[in-house]
Amino acid sequence: MDQENLPVPSNPLGLQAVEFIEYTTREPLALGALLQQFGFMPVARHRSREVMLYRQGPMNIIVDADPASVRESTRADAPAIAAVAFRVRDAAFAHRRALELGAWDMPTRAAAMELNIPGIHGVGDSLIYFVERHEGLTIYDVDFIPIAASDPAPPALAGLHWFGLVQAVQSDRAADWIDFYRTLLGFEPLRRGQYFGVLPKGTLLASPDGGFYFQLVEPPPGADFVEWNETLLRVGLGAPDVMAAVRALQARGIVFVDREPVRPSDKGALTQIYLGGFCVELVVSATPTPALRVAS
Amino acid sequence: MKLEDFGMDTITLAGPIEAKLEAMREAGFTQVMLSARDLVDHPNGEKAAIEAVRRSGLRVTGLQVLRDFEGLSGPLHSYKVDVAKSMLQLARDVGAPLVLACSSTSAHATGNFDAQVADLRKLAMLAVPMGLRIAYEALSWGRVVDDLAAAWARVQAADRSNLGVAIDSFHMLARETPLGVLEELNPEKLFFVQLSDFMWSAPATPEERRETARHARVFPGEGAHSDTLSDMIRAIDALGYEGDISFEVFNDDYVQMPLPVVAQRARRSVQWITDHVSRRSLPVRRRVAG
Repeated sequence: MDQENLPVPSNPLGLQAVEFIEYTTREPLALGALLQQFGFMPVARHRSREVMLYRQGPMNIIVDADPASVRESTRADAPAIAAVAFRVRDAAFAHRRALELGAWDMPTRAAAMELNIPGIHGVGDSLIYFVERHEGLTIYDVDFIPIAASDPAPPALAGLHWFGLVQAVQSDRAADWIDFYRTLLGFEPLRRGQYFGVLPKGTLLASPDGGFYFQLVEPPPGADFVEWNETLLRVGLGAPDVMAAVRALQARGIVFVDREPVRPSDKGALTQIYLGGFCVELVVSATPTPALRVAS
Repeated sequence: MKLEDFGMDTITLAGPIEAKLEAMREAGFTQVMLSARDLVDHPNGEKAAIEAVRRSGLRVTGLQVLRDFEGLSGPLHSYKVDVAKSMLQLARDVGAPLVLACSSTSAHATGNFDAQVADLRKLAMLAVPMGLRIAYEALSWGRVVDDLAAAWARVQAADRSNLGVAIDSFHMLARETPLGVLEELNPEKLFFVQLSDFMWSAPATPEERRETARHARVFPGEGAHSDTLSDMIRAIDALGYEGDISFEVFNDDYVQMPLPVVAQRARRSVQWITDHVSRRSLPVRRRVAG
């Protein structure tokens, strides 16, 4: 079927950007220290739970070490990407629409936020939240207490911004997940062969505004012996000048994989794996204009 | 076609699931099509049944059966979505890659094509995070969708990667469906094949078809339509179908016979099929790389 024939409006949810990405971990101090090396600064702590908010430029990361959340995670020993929150025009509408189309409602677990943020099941144990942003009030104002003397708006290192998420899928399952993200969120697959970064493989899906990507990666051929769970593997950060970003992060002690084919280049770079499962990919990408980021 | 391509449905055999699995394995089968009832009926609960399936070493073909899903509205639809979710979770827990959903017989369901397609899309979407495929099967007494062409039309319109059709030879034989319909199928969208025959001519009414289907099926080679059935299997094979084939034989006599006796009849049926339809049993000529 032609894409043009699909009865899906290009951006049915008014999806604009990633509001936050949430990690669960048993070792919040270790992950927090690592995030600071990456340029994310602690800006607020949760009122009642063991949850912290880190920020860098336009990016928010929630580190959830609440025992109830960590217990839910199958990869509990390593930090796991537990959720991605998308900023949408109307969160309740987005949630209702997703359920009508066959999404699973968020499980009744202790979510990081006490504020009633609607969400659905994503891949593996992860969740997809729908968040609205209103003038002068953010979701963090309700649940979090600012950390005294911290800069509430720490600048981004080298223009870093959200670029995408890399997701492992089982063999021959990429098409199923394309259906998932296209139907529920309005993402569209890029034509085959169009890649960014240093790991040109799998299937890329672009958000309706083109500002965020999912990369679906099937197990390599002949890798039957490798354990390959469907899960969110890592975040991709956009950098207008990848080598400048690499140098800035190296100066803070971050180590990049320095062998082909992923040696740092103008196209991208890949950090080593930290804490048993945390790594970050850099991808060349112009800084989104502020007007786009904060449009409501 | 070879023995590894075939499996049995648990519904064909009497007794506890452990005995069913053992009889299948003893007869040389390597896969099993599970009935959800066989799992939840276990005296120690479905977890014990799932454990028994794991221990058996048999590969799970799929889980059946989700009934009357499409075309409902309001509270009936919500209820059925809950039922579907429960079955999908059970399928995931037991390691089934596929759930069989059969066409609605409900008088409360709409026959509206678009509504049916939307519901099938929803079912397929529910199955994505669970890693499952949905095989949609036309019951020959379905209220609106009662043959393969009608099921395929809806699957094609739904256009979802993890949604395909299942062929059940019983329904084709019972409706005397011309085999030409198979040529309309996209072979990649044929997700599952169930085989059986029966011992009299095609029943005239939906009620008679249902009665025959639920009580008087026999294995391929034992019934009254062997010629048509072997033509059908040959046509399915000619499509390039390489998926699983299971014997779905509801038979009141077989559920009061010793399990190994029935499993041996299934084993003989595989032989009957491979004797009559042998394309896939030929050795595959491997392409030499280089």
